[in-house]
Amino acid sequence: MSVATATPINSPAAPAAGGRAKRGDRGARWGALGFVSPAVILVAVLLYAPFLYTVALSFTEYDGLNSPQWIGVENFTRFFDDPALTTSLRNTLMWVVGTTVVPVALGLLVAVLSFGIKGGTWLRLPFMLPYALSGAGLAVIWGFILQSGGAANDVLGFLHLPGADTSFLQEEPWNTLGMIVAWTWQQTGVNALLFLVGLQSIPKEPLEAARIDGASGWSLFRHVTWPLLAPLTTVVVGLALVASLKTFDIVWVTTQGGPGRNSETLAVTMYRDAFVSGEYGYGSAVALVLTLTTGAVTLAYLRRQVKSREALG
Amino acid sequence: MSVRARVLTALVAAASLALTACGGDSGDDNGGGGGGKTELKLYNDKGAWSPFFEELGKLSKQQIGIGMTPVGYTDEPTYSAFIKASFRTNEKPDLFTWSTGGRLQEIVEAGQVAETTDLWKDAIAAGDLSKELEETYTYDGKQYCVPLNISYWVMFYNKKVYDEAGLEPPTTWAELMSNADKLKAKGVTPFYQTSVLFSFVWFQQLLIGTDPDLYDKLATGEAKYTDPGVVAVMERWKQMVDGGYFSDAGSKEDPAVQLKSGKTAMGIFGTWFNTSMTQQGLEPGTDYGMFAIPNVDPAQSKVTMAFESGPLCSLAKAPDTKASTDYMKWWVGQPAQEKWANSRGDVSANPKVAIPDPGLSAIAKSAGGGEYTLANRYFEAAPAPVLTAALDAFGAFMVKPDSYMKQLENIQKAADEYWKGR
Amino acid sequence: MKHPKKTLRFAPRFPGGPATRRLVLGAMGLLWLIPVYLLLVNAFRPSTEYDADRIWVPDGDFGFFDNVKLAWDAAGLGPSILSTLLYSAVSPLAAVVLGAMAGFAIVVLRLRAGFWWFMLLFGGTIFPIQMLVIPLFISYSSADLYDRRLGLVLVYTAVCVPLAALVMRSFFTGVAYSIYEAARVDGASVWRIFWRVYLPLAVPALSAVAILEFAFVWNDLLFGLTLSQNENVRPVMTALSSLSSAYSGSTVPVVLAAGLVMSLPTVLVFLGAQRIFARGLTLGQY
Repeated sequence: MSVATATPINSPAAPAAGGRAKRGDRGARWGALGFVSPAVILVAVLLYAPFLYTVALSFTEYDGLNSPQWIGVENFTRFFDDPALTTSLRNTLMWVVGTTVVPVALGLLVAVLSFGIKGGTWLRLPFMLPYALSGAGLAVIWGFILQSGGAANDVLGFLHLPGADTSFLQEEPWNTLGMIVAWTWQQTGVNALLFLVGLQSIPKEPLEAARIDGASGWSLFRHVTWPLLAPLTTVVVGLALVASLKTFDIVWVTTQGGPGRNSETLAVTMYRDAFVSGEYGYGSAVALVLTLTTGAVTLAYLRRQVKSREALG
Repeated sequence: MSVRARVLTALVAAASLALTACGGDSGDDNGGGGGGKTELKLYNDKGAWSPFFEELGKLSKQQIGIGMTPVGYTDEPTYSAFIKASFRTNEKPDLFTWSTGGRLQEIVEAGQVAETTDLWKDAIAAGDLSKELEETYTYDGKQYCVPLNISYWVMFYNKKVYDEAGLEPPTTWAELMSNADKLKAKGVTPFYQTSVLFSFVWFQQLLIGTDPDLYDKLATGEAKYTDPGVVAVMERWKQMVDGGYFSDAGSKEDPAVQLKSGKTAMGIFGTWFNTSMTQQGLEPGTDYGMFAIPNVDPAQSKVTMAFESGPLCSLAKAPDTKASTDYMKWWVGQPAQEKWANSRGDVSANPKVAIPDPGLSAIAKSAGGGEYTLANRYFEAAPAPVLTAALDAFGAFMVKPDSYMKQLENIQKAADEYWKGR
Repeated sequence: MKHPKKTLRFAPRFPGGPATRRLVLGAMGLLWLIPVYLLLVNAFRPSTEYDADRIWVPDGDFGFFDNVKLAWDAAGLGPSILSTLLYSAVSPLAAVVLGAMAGFAIVVLRLRAGFWWFMLLFGGTIFPIQMLVIPLFISYSSADLYDRRLGLVLVYTAVCVPLAALVMRSFFTGVAYSIYEAARVDGASVWRIFWRVYLPLAVPALSAVAILEFAFVWNDLLFGLTLSQNENVRPVMTALSSLSSAYSGSTVPVVLAAGLVMSLPTVLVFLGAQRIFARGLTLGQY
């Protein structure tokens, strides 16, 4: 078999009409199910099934001790009437915009700049290191930086910029913004790594062709590289979308959603209502709303991306 | 096979071996539920105390033949949910820590907790526990659980700063405020406050120093947060905030560090804070001290002091009820309590225990001897949803002191929700 | 098949030559290192010398190892490290293989309704895990998986699979279908094609995902806290988190030193795995 040799592996995938397996490949069709099922079973049993329990709980009133009491949609109506919801939604939106734009763009920049140059791995290291820190570690360091009289205030004062006296962690929206900066610090490296995977798989031919046509530098990037990077861009933005909607750890450890709930995100609201107040039914309802929102948003985004790619080609 | 595949297979084989070799022994030492357990698991949400628990476990093995291993959690809400869920599984705890107040009431009412009435009777008779403390552990005339620990909330102060300003620990509120004024004049922030977790501290202190009965009534829903007595407390607090008596509530800086540096002179903490001070290299009596906080209202006869006491509980349906009960009996006795309190550098619920630290010892003797009226810490006294609302409200108040009425109304809303139908 | 000619020199294909790019990257990198500097300076500071006014200036005395010892004793970090290594190595490995299989099935084998299978897998990431832990605890308890290493490996693998599937699916869409067709024509079985062709091709992507997931599993707190209790089974973060609680009395340098030590394995994995990963990058596809 000659398959092991290096054929031009990175030509664009041949378009497949309707995504069906070829007629003669029936064995492959059953094989396909076999290939996908271990992953699906694991995810279904360990992730979906426990979540179904949460869905069931969301229609009840439950204190964790006595039996859950069915109360229909009361949790949901209560949630939509909750005044804290507005702030929570606003903050979550800030997180979504913040994390799908800046860390992604910076990650792309780092990937593009470091791709293929000597010593690229070392130049990328400062961006990768932050991801080695645990969620709590991240919150401790940045709590340290953002606290009143902390490093951020020091630096701003030193540079004679406004903000030397701001209490970043206390005042909204600065606390949320500050935490988004911390998150960006950590996530840029991750995004860079994923973009590198994408850059690495870009096929040679279109680039050669474009260069022969006289394109170079920025226009090369914009017209050839960027569209070919689309699969990984989808991954990176898709992940950022999900992560931003579920933002919890960093907020909980840094500000606990406060002061006065002004830095709460939807996931923090969920945790408070379920675990801190001990109202597991209500918290489950919040969780369900959060999950459905995340699911709908990512589904819409991914569908659009996948469809447009199939249309390309 | 290619090298890569070989390596992968080897890894998988090694991993499977490691997995099957030791999966944790959750099933050993069961003793069949009737007796005979010699190793008990103590679930707790004080993960930081694991080394101390382990020492106690060794001691108990020596003294009563029952060893104990701690299973520590660090996030209290997760711990709560976990313990409550465990009641329905085979992973019931032998012993577990909890909180007094509404949370204990909840699980007592659900019939989960083992009664300890006889244990308390014997312990009080033997002088191991004080009658004052019994009330916190009583529901419907019966006692449940035993005290795991007790801490009194006192004012810690930087002695060097005090000495420099020529000040003495105050015996009246007027003296305390005059001390504060002198410190302010010297550019030292008098008091520490925080908007995270312990944001209730000053509310609690001002209220118990003014009207301890009102404080108790708030905990049972008989009084409202919008009552004039409570509003007056908030106004006094606002006055103090506006007057610049407090440190920055949003600072994440370790309070022990603030006190050590002398930037802030005093702070209200539980006596467990003593460990934080000694860990900083500070010497009690030389570098820092503590005093009981005088009542705001001098007309009150006895000083009201807040205390926190966490219960050590066992289940009515524990895997081995006798072993658990024996353990709790041993826990309240002097040998156990002596080791427990002194290894942590805190006071003990057992008045017989000798405490080396003179400051702690003085407080413990006075409090244990009935010199003060004890008030249950707000954290335990307030029902969970009310507490959550209150902590937020106090945090928000510290950022915007003008909003105090709104904050009180918010807390009352949560209280109304909670108490309706109870 | 002839090898396509490799270019011997890199022509600049992004704005700016290599020197400019290095400059910009270097400057950004320095900015990124500032918090790391703060971390190092204060973790190295002796435990009792922490002063909020002097966080920028290194202390004359080197207290790092003392701090680590304090943390080690206070938190009991030892036994859990081996278990955590097990979880962080095995689960991502299993997850990338399973994810690659799924990606292969969807993209190369043209699984019917492939997009929906893919969404099913990706959907695994949208659940807030705080809500999953209690039902998992209850089920694990009945299935005798509670407090067992196998239980934790399973749940970590399940959590890692969606990312792996996502990346592998994207990666495989960039691989020429002609390879698959040619191999089938040659008579290779589907399984063999996967193992001998696609999986090796995907090693750089796999290692990127595995690196990220190593860090994720290593830093996990919640699953470890609720699904295990024995110190030989519990992952290391559960012990570490006790240091930052209010009741611990640990000082800032100790907490930072512990955090630093605990992030070292991940850093080492990054450095090591990046070499595998980078090899694919410098082969000059251009």
